[in-house]
Order: sequence, then structure tokens, then C-alpha cells
Amino acid sequence: MKIKNLYIGYTKTLLEIEELNLEAGKVYALIGANGRGKTTFMKSLIGQIPSLSGQITLDGKDLTTLLSLDKSKLFGFVNSRFAGVSYMRAKEYVALGRSPYTKAFGRLSAKDEAIVDQSFETMEIEHLANKFTEDLSDGERQMLAIAKVLAQETEYIFLDEPTAFLDYSNKKKVLQMLTKIAKDENKCIFYSSHDLEMALEYSDVKVCVLKENNQVSIISGKLDLNSLLNICFQD
Amino acid sequence: MISQKRNRFLLLLLLVIMPIAFISHFAAGEISISWSTFGDAWISFDSSNPEHIIVREFRFPRFIMACLAGSALSVCGLMMQTLFNNPLAGPYILGINSGSSLFVAISLMTGLSIFQSDFGLVSSALIGAFIFGLIILSISFKVKQGVSLLLIGLMLGSFSSALVSVIQYLSEANSLKMFTMWIMGSLQLVESDQLPFISVLFLFGMLGSFLIIKPLNAFVLGETEAVLLGISIRKIRLLIIVFTALLTGLITAYCGPIAFIGLAVPNLVKIIFKTQDHRILLPASLIGGAIFIVLCDIIVQLTAQWIPLPINAVTSLIGAPMVIYFIVKRLAQ
Repeated sequence: MKIKNLYIGYTKTLLEIEELNLEAGKVYALIGANGRGKTTFMKSLIGQIPSLSGQITLDGKDLTTLLSLDKSKLFGFVNSRFAGVSYMRAKEYVALGRSPYTKAFGRLSAKDEAIVDQSFETMEIEHLANKFTEDLSDGERQMLAIAKVLAQETEYIFLDEPTAFLDYSNKKKVLQMLTKIAKDENKCIFYSSHDLEMALEYSDVKVCVLKENNQVSIISGKLDLNSLLNICFQD
Repeated sequence: MISQKRNRFLLLLLLVIMPIAFISHFAAGEISISWSTFGDAWISFDSSNPEHIIVREFRFPRFIMACLAGSALSVCGLMMQTLFNNPLAGPYILGINSGSSLFVAISLMTGLSIFQSDFGLVSSALIGAFIFGLIILSISFKVKQGVSLLLIGLMLGSFSSALVSVIQYLSEANSLKMFTMWIMGSLQLVESDQLPFISVLFLFGMLGSFLIIKPLNAFVLGETEAVLLGISIRKIRLLIIVFTALLTGLITAYCGPIAFIGLAVPNLVKIIFKTQDHRILLPASLIGGAIFIVLCDIIVQLTAQWIPLPINAVTSLIGAPMVIYFIVKRLAQ
């Protein structure tokens, strides 16, 4: 995915991105203060919110020319919290990730079933498959939401503050898992986070929303917490 | 998977209960008719035999109408609950019925001759249901909280019944009587020669509902998630409203407003089947709705010699406490 001179926001510009290329196999962490447009940015990248100007291209194709079914096969999106749905079992939920591929009545083929099972395996949550989503903990549900997006088989996975509602060990587990998925399955993972130290540790590229203006700084190398605090957050 | 096998078994069980309920319905009429007469009324029809007339012109249409009404309203309730992501939604509580009532009142009592026909009655009920469906849909974009939407639905209901009262005050005795009969709600107003027309519209709405099973499943996760799964929500939203208006309007036109079935049956089905898969929920609501209303109508028939209860009263008597139970259970969580 290539991003060029992108201006995002609803009516006035929230963020400007001069240039950013998202590559498979890499983990991107989006860091910045509250209310600076991180979620809007991600939703613009997956074509859910139109950008104000600029261009997003995928393999040379403009994002705005893609149909919503095409987009659903390219982008997966995980909300910061999945609260569970009454009477819905974990397996039923993950199976919905196959929706872009199934035929009229949403019947799963043997191949779809195998992909759903594989997603549970990858996330190491096979034991949850028959449980009801409402009965799970926030940590388990977050793993489940990622399993669903894996079942969707998208090249890009965007996650909006995936660690916000988790305790320390679950935060760590989720981020380790995301790093592993990026490497093993050669996917591009892009998440926003306020868990700065962990985001610095578990990411290849840091996309930092600067504190003074609407610009972002893209840092591929090492970055320590103090310099991050310096560029992103007011005292 | 265990749950799939279980659900298939339960669905089968419903199919077994269904004929039992149906047979009891035939047997529950005020005038007892022997089983052989039931057969004879079809095989060797004798138009001078009053029992044959009862079977063909009263029992049978009433039974078919009951099944169609129960199924249609339950499936509508299910779709509304999924569309608005609210287990307490239903065609009655969201005011879709009252849209039909209002337009039927206008057409019956303004004396416009084009509306006096059968076709006029149905089309005004359909138009009313569709318009009120669109109103609720457009309000739902602004009001996200579940309970507020229900309150708005109830307000729409009160508003239209107030309008109906005004129309009633201004109308003639004759059409007023027709309307009063209609608003009581009855499964007996239908004549056998109207059944084919009703069945065709019913099948059309039902077929449409089954064709959107896949998007309905995605809608369970909410509209934003459905978009991400590649569902074109604008189209599906409109289709749900169209099918709901068609089925609700149709049933309301011929039976009057029938309350709570659309709300109670899908909730019962979800409690029994413990799934959100519409491949199960839709057929189960279809069968369950027919069973539920047939059982209600058996109560109507059995009590008829003491009190003439309208079907709407029975469904409300059973449905309203159930809905209170659902709400209490939800709030307790």
C-alpha cells in the first residue's frame, strides 16, 4: 500500500501524511495523543472514511475504485473491544470472517471450515471454539477478534487500540501474537496504541503523530521512550 | 460440531410439534366435527352439508391465516431485531403495524372508492407499513441506544392511534363499524378465495427474507462490522424494510394488528437454539411463529363459548409478560 500526500479528516484536516508505504511482513505502530485522528487515519486507509485529498494505491490501483467486497478481502479491521454477542458461539463468530468468500446462504465449504479451524490454532484458542462469546474474558475475546480477521484472509490487518482493555500479560500476549502473524503469515499489521513501551518494543515501524502540527513522523529504526514522549506528547 | 447437530434435532422437534398443534387447532372449534368429515369436506364436497362448509370456509382459512400470520410476524420480528441490533425490536413495538392501521383507517373511512376494494385495503396497509418502516429506519441513524428507539416506536404508535381517533370521529357509522371490526384483530375475516393471493405475497416476502440470510448474519455484529465483511448495508437495510413492510402489512391488512408475536417468538427461538445463525433462526421462527399463534388461537376457540377474545388479546396476554421477562433479564445482566 502506497500513501502519498494524504490529507485525512472529516471537514478540516486532522492529519497529513506525505509518504508512507505499508509492506507485508511488517508491524506498524501508530502512536499519538488522544483526539489527533488515529482512528480516522486507519479508517481512511481501509476506505471506510473518504480522505480529503491525496492518494492511496494498492498494486497501482486507487483505493477509491475498489468495491466494498474487494476491500473486505484486502483489509481486516479489529475494534478495540469486542463485547460479545448473546447466543453467539466463538466458532460462529470467527466463521463470519469468511463472509466475503461464502456463497448465497453463507454456507461454509470444507476449505472455509479448515481456514476457521486454522485461525483458532494460530491464535492458540482452540479450547474456546464452542464457548459463547459473552462468557469469555476481554483478553479471550480480543484473541477471538483477531482470529476472525485471520479467517478473513486479508493482506492488511488494522487494529484500533487492540490492547486498551487488556491487562498487562494479555497486552503482551496480543502484541507478541501480532508480531508472530506478521512474520509467519507475511501480513502487514498496523495498530494504534497508548501502551508506548510495548508499542516501541513490538513494532518494526513507528508512525508518530507529532505534537505541534498535523504531521506524522515515520521512524523505522530504534526509538527510545523519552524521544517518543518528546515528539508526540505535550508536557 | 455438537451445537449444529443439536440445532438440527431441535428444528426437527419443532416440525414434530407443529402437526400436533395443527391437529389440536382443528379439533378445538366450537362445533365438534369428526375427522372423517374433515376428509370428506375435501374429497367428496357436499355444498348442502353445513359441516363441510364450516371446514372449507371457516376452519381451513382460519388455520392457514393463523400459520401465515404467526410465521410472517415472527420472521419480521427476527429481521428487525437483527437490523436494529436490539432484541426487543419487533414490527408491533416499532410501530410498523400502526403505520398499516393508520393507512387502513384513512382508506376505509375517507370513503375513497379505490380504497374500498380488497386490493385497496392491502395496498394501503403495505404503504403504511413501508412508510413507518422508513421513518423508524431514518430515526435509527440518529438514535443509537436501543431503548430510545423502542420508545420512539411506541410514540409513533400512540401518534397514529390518535390520528385514527380523529378520523373515527369524523367518519360515517358504516365505515366506522368496518374499521372497529378490523382493529380488534381476527383470524376469521379471511375468505377461502382470498387465500391464494395472500399466500403468493407471503411466499414472496418469505423467499426474500431467506435470500438475505448471509447479510443478516453479518448484521448481528453491527453495521460497521457488516461493512467490513463486504456487505452493502444500504441495500440490505432497505431490503429488510421492504420485506418486513410486505409481510407485516399483508398480515395486518387481513387480520388487524397482532401484538408481540414478532417480539416473543424470535427471542424464544434464540433461547432454545442458542445461536445467532439465521440459517437456523429464520426457519425456526417461521415454524415457531406458526405453532405459537396456532396455540393462541386454540385458546381463543376454547374460551369462545364464555368470552369472545380477539386473537390480539391472547397474544398480548401471553406475549407482554414474556417481553417484561426479557427486559428484566437483560437489565439484570
